[in-house]
Amino acid sequence: MKLELKGTPGEVMRAVESLQEFGEAKAIPAGILFGLTLALEECASNIVNHALQRDPAQTFEVTLEHTGEAISIELRDSGIAFDPTLAPPGDGVADDEEEPGGWGIFLVRKYTDNLIYSREGGRNVLRLMKSLPLPA
Amino acid sequence: MPLDIQIVRTAGSDQTGVYTVKLTGSLDTLTAPDLEKELTPVMARCGKDLMFDLAGLKFISSAGLRVFSMVRKQLKERGGMASFISLQPQITEVFAIIKALPGVGMFTSEAEFDSYIAARQRIVQNGQNGQV
Repeated sequence: MKLELKGTPGEVMRAVESLQEFGEAKAIPAGILFGLTLALEECASNIVNHALQRDPAQTFEVTLEHTGEAISIELRDSGIAFDPTLAPPGDGVADDEEEPGGWGIFLVRKYTDNLIYSREGGRNVLRLMKSLPLPA
Repeated sequence: MPLDIQIVRTAGSDQTGVYTVKLTGSLDTLTAPDLEKELTPVMARCGKDLMFDLAGLKFISSAGLRVFSMVRKQLKERGGMASFISLQPQITEVFAIIKALPGVGMFTSEAEFDSYIAARQRIVQNGQNGQV
């Protein structure tokens, strides 16, 4: 499934709802699907808020793939080069001294198995991978 | 999924009361600004404590966590606390991942929260009366 989305928060949530419908149709376990929707929300929000500056005239793409053994989410945007995988690991501690801006990437790492970034044809490409449990 | 926000005063006066914020739906990049806006007048008159009833909250992202963080910080400066009741398992997991549980109150029910508030008010009153 491929989605072309405008650079707005509403479009981020349209992508999230599409993933929820996609995951339910593929019988993805609820816990895994929750984590993936959270990861997609964080990554797409980052694109909209930073790369696209919430400009509805700009667009980004989300592609969902299910192989039976894994699910992958690919995000493509034409913003300036930004590799979120280079963000320091952090410990996610929500103490009052820490700016909470790093929580997003921390949650993405927790809920996915692989996070792969590349720059292709002047576009940021971020792939989120999650292995699925084998059928009983 | 939209976010439904209900704010009710559960104890005390209108100016210094204890308020409960009941959230239903999704607290995300689209809806977090709505919650922040709704909380502004509540934070001005809620005193030291604010309770969030999350029984109906299905989804939360870092945008929503930032709103809770802001509330927690402001209440802590007043000597109070943000409290959360009836979290669904997936929301509890997100709180646990970012280690947001220390420093906030977690209660299983509104009755448990009310008991906590009553006990704290007794301690304050006893202190004012010179009792320990």
